[in-house]
Formats: sequence, structure tokens, C-alpha cells
Amino acid sequence: MSAIHDLGYKRYVGTRRPTSTRWRVIVRRQMATAWHGWFRMKAAVGLAIVTTCVFGGMMYFLTNGIMFRGFRRVGDLPLTIADGALPASLDWYRRAAFLLGLTVIAGAVAGDRQSGAFTFYFARSIRPRDYVAGKLGGALAMTASILVLGPLVLALLRLGLCDDTDALVAHLAIVPEALAIGALATLVYAIVPLGISALFASRRYAVAVWAAYWLIATTAAGRIGIATGSSWIAALDLARAIEAVTHRLFDLQLAHHLAIPLPAALGSIALHVALALAIVGYQVARAQRTGVGGSA
Amino acid sequence: MTAVIELSGLAKRYGAITALAGLDATIDGEIIGLLGPNGAGKSTLLKCLLGLVPFDGEARVLGLSAARDGAAIRDRVGYMPEQEAVLLDLTAVELCAYAGELSGLPRNEAMQRAHAALYYAGLDEKRYQPIAGYSTGMKQRVKLAQALVHDPELLFLDEPTSGLDPRSRDEMLELVAELPDRRGCAIVLSTHLLPDVERVCDRAVIMHKGALRFTGTIDELRGARGRDSELAVEVKADAHKLADALVGAGAACRVQSDTALAVDLPADATARLVFAIARDVAVQVRGLEVRRDSVEAAFLRVIGDEGAHP
Repeated sequence: MSAIHDLGYKRYVGTRRPTSTRWRVIVRRQMATAWHGWFRMKAAVGLAIVTTCVFGGMMYFLTNGIMFRGFRRVGDLPLTIADGALPASLDWYRRAAFLLGLTVIAGAVAGDRQSGAFTFYFARSIRPRDYVAGKLGGALAMTASILVLGPLVLALLRLGLCDDTDALVAHLAIVPEALAIGALATLVYAIVPLGISALFASRRYAVAVWAAYWLIATTAAGRIGIATGSSWIAALDLARAIEAVTHRLFDLQLAHHLAIPLPAALGSIALHVALALAIVGYQVARAQRTGVGGSA
Repeated sequence: MTAVIELSGLAKRYGAITALAGLDATIDGEIIGLLGPNGAGKSTLLKCLLGLVPFDGEARVLGLSAARDGAAIRDRVGYMPEQEAVLLDLTAVELCAYAGELSGLPRNEAMQRAHAALYYAGLDEKRYQPIAGYSTGMKQRVKLAQALVHDPELLFLDEPTSGLDPRSRDEMLELVAELPDRRGCAIVLSTHLLPDVERVCDRAVIMHKGALRFTGTIDELRGARGRDSELAVEVKADAHKLADALVGAGAACRVQSDTALAVDLPADATARLVFAIARDVAVQVRGLEVRRDSVEAAFLRVIGDEGAHP
């Protein structure tokens, strides 16, 4: 028999953290776990840092150059690299966010279902809404660190490149614009993969479905929309929907681009986000009822 | 003093299926064995006690209403599930500290108690390794530690020795048996292994088909009918002679050898009857003890012929 070890046990008599704040513990743990290893959050953050450096370098060194890839202002006016680098960079930040979805977010709830962690959570005073808030908070914070922070740095750099106060004031709007589009994209790239994650009890399946949904399903919807000339169907391609909002915010046009109306773009985003939230909420509440002490 | 668990008309239905059929009981003790065949309602009872599912009637745990104070109950109760229910990406110390924080402990306190709980559970340096690489026995120890870390007053242990080799099982039972003294917590032990109950539990609750079939001490369970009426008698010789005399007094006897017989006393009789008759027929009694069933036999008797596996 092994000896029983005990380290001078004393009952805890201090105060306990209120139940309503325990979702923050889940946020913190989710971020700490995501930061482990090189192929989770660090890979996505690395891509975001490279994006910031490349586009920031372009803004700094090629300030007055003309934008490439058909980026024009509305009215077919040319766009300088200093002004066009930020909206152009969003494409790459979104790739980093998609990578984060693959490596971290799409597996977040599915991994917990797979490992039986719902029992771990719900045998404690964690309510389904605490769990959802924790997972959601973690996903939003991680995604925002890419999609909000990166563009914000570029926006501030753009302000720093202004020659005088008048130019600075004229460009001040770029900061809220960057924050707005970053926040909108954050909602999509954090919540949609989380919703897909809640559909499966296997991390691998959830990741595969998130990749397939993003790369195949929404892209197909976008192409069908373009082929049929239906901007509402094209708006189901979330990347195009975000792009449409970006163009509207930054007053841009793309020569080859089917114009997706703002209501269609925002409607598609709102629909996806609402559906994903509903899936997460429903699945987690169901898991709480069945997950502890067997499936009776 | 508040009972650990109080049930009053506790009922739970899933559609047409009655999972719990109006349970009434006051359950107390240090280590309480919860027994019953598959589908007896143990899991449903557990969910009701933790305040996770709505139910009819009243259930109180540590004096708190399970219907209204589920979250407060879960802060004061630890749960060690049978199935794997850990976060495999974490190390044992990270998991236990996380469990402590989720139960409301401040971060530093949770970390200190995580180390203490893992030390108690016998995970020394291994506590810094990811749980994914642990053996079954080590995972059981982690599950016990995470249930202990927030300092519960009541522990629900679901099959704590499941999948363990004999030595690990011994060690786990030793840890469980020591918990009430060392941590001041009561334990509800749900297990299929009746020898485990016999070894560590002082009370038992037996469920079958959603109803409580027995609540009481292990001695009462083994002592069968609530009174010491079944005796094993050892005599110097002439067991047949004593048996004949006892049958004449209304007892049922089975002679096992010339020196041993089993006696089932008539109602209202006590062991004094055996001594009195032995004196009358001049048979020397050398030993007399109340016959006890094993917990397994008692369990089978309580639930009847159905559901022989708890």
C-alpha cells in the first residue's frame, strides 16, 4: 500500500468568486491553451504579424505608389498605397483568422464534447450560459487580436504618415473604420466556426466541416451568385460579404467585383452569426441536461 | 444536524418513462454506497441532487434545495465521473487549478489546492505531464483530485475503481476510505463492485426501477431482516440433539456437522432461547454469531431475481 500524502489540509473559508464571473476563467483558460505549441494560435498570430509588417512596410516605403489588383476609389479614381494598403491587408488578416478557426476555434466545443469535458464543467456551478460566454469570449478575444489589432496598427501607421494636421484630421476616420470592419469580421470568424464546432462530438470532423464550409460551400454560393447575377446569393459567401462592407467603409470599388448591396452583406453576416449562436446555445444546454452522470 | 441528503416525494419522468418514482428518504453517513442495476435511476437521482434537471417533489443536499440552489450545491459538492471527463490538453496541475477556479476559488488558492489534491491522490512529478499520456489509474487519480480541489463537503464518486488493476484499486479505496477523516467530507460511492462497498461504506442505498429498495447501514443490509434472527451456532457435540429441541420450540434448524448448525429463530425469540434450550438438553454451546450475508447476497435479495448486476 502506498502511504497517503497530505499537506496539512485546512478547509477553505475565504470568499468564492461569484458564479456570474466564472465565464472569465473559461476565457482565460481557452486563450492559455490556444497559446500552447506553435501550430495553434501562434501560427495565426505569426501570419498576422507578417501581414502587418509587409503592408506596414509598403505603406511606409511606397507611400505614394498606386494600388495594385484593381483597387480603385469609387468613381474609378486611383488609390495610393498609403490609403489602399489597409483595406488590401484585410484579405490576409482574414486568412490568419481562418487559420485560427482551423487550429483553435472549430475544435473548441467539439473537443470538449469529445473528451467528456461537459461533465467536468456542469458538475460545477457553471451554467450553460457561462460556458457559452466563456468559449465565445475566448474566441472573440483571440480573433480580435488578429482582425482588430492588426488593422488598427496599420490605421495608426497611416495617421503617422500624414504630412500635416489637416491631412491627419482628414484621415482620422480610418481608425473607426478599421475598428468597425475588424469587429465585424471578428464576429464572423469567431462565432461561425464555434457554431460548427458545437455540431460535432469530434474535433477532427468539426475542423474538416469548418474548412469545407468556408472553402467550398460559401465559395460555391458566391460563384453561383455571380453566375446568376444574384447579389443576395453571392452574399452567402461570407468573405465576399465582408469585402462588400469593407469597400463601402473605405469607399472602394473592385473592377471585376459583383456589387453586393450592404443590406445583403450585413444580412448574410447576421444570419450566420445568429444561427451559429443558436446552435452553440442549444447544443450546450442539451449537453448539460444529459452530460452528467450518464445519459438517462 | 443536517442530513447529507433528504428526499421527499422526489419524482422524475422522461415522457412515458418513470425514472424516479417518488423517493422518500433521509440519507446520512460518512461513506454511502449507492447501488442498483443499470437503469435503476442512479444517474437521474444524481442529476436531480446536483440541480441539473427539473423534478417533482423535494430534494435537499447538505440542507440546500436542489431545485432552487443547484449552483450553491455544486460549489459544495465534488463529482468524480465514471467516464473520461477531463481536458486532455492540460497537465494534471493545470486541470485541477482550473477546476478550483471554476468552483470559485481565487487563482492562487486554486493552484495551491491543486498541488495538495494531486499530492493526496498520489500524483507526484507526473502532475506536470499532459493528461493525454496518463494510464487509466493515473486518470482516475486526476479525476479524484479535481473533485477534491475546491474543498467539497460531499463527494459523489462514480465507479472510482473502474478499470484499475488490483493494486491500484486497493490504493484508490484506501484514499476514499481516508477522505472523511482527512478532508471532513461525506462520500456517496456509486459502484458495480460490491466488494468495494463492503470494504469502505458504512451505509448503503439500493435502487431498483426508480424506487428506493433499501437505505440503512451495511450491517443492517447484511443482517437481512432488521433483527438478528439467523444464527450460526457452534457446539461441543450433539448438534442434532440441540436442533431437535430448537425445532420443538418453533425454530428452523439446519445441521451442518456434529458441532455446527444454522438456526432461524421464530418471531419474537432472541439468542437467549438457544442458550436456554442448550442448557435444558445439556449441550455445551461454544460459539454463537449472527449470520450475515455478503453485501452481494444481500443486494440480490433486496432487488429480487431481476437485475442481478448492480
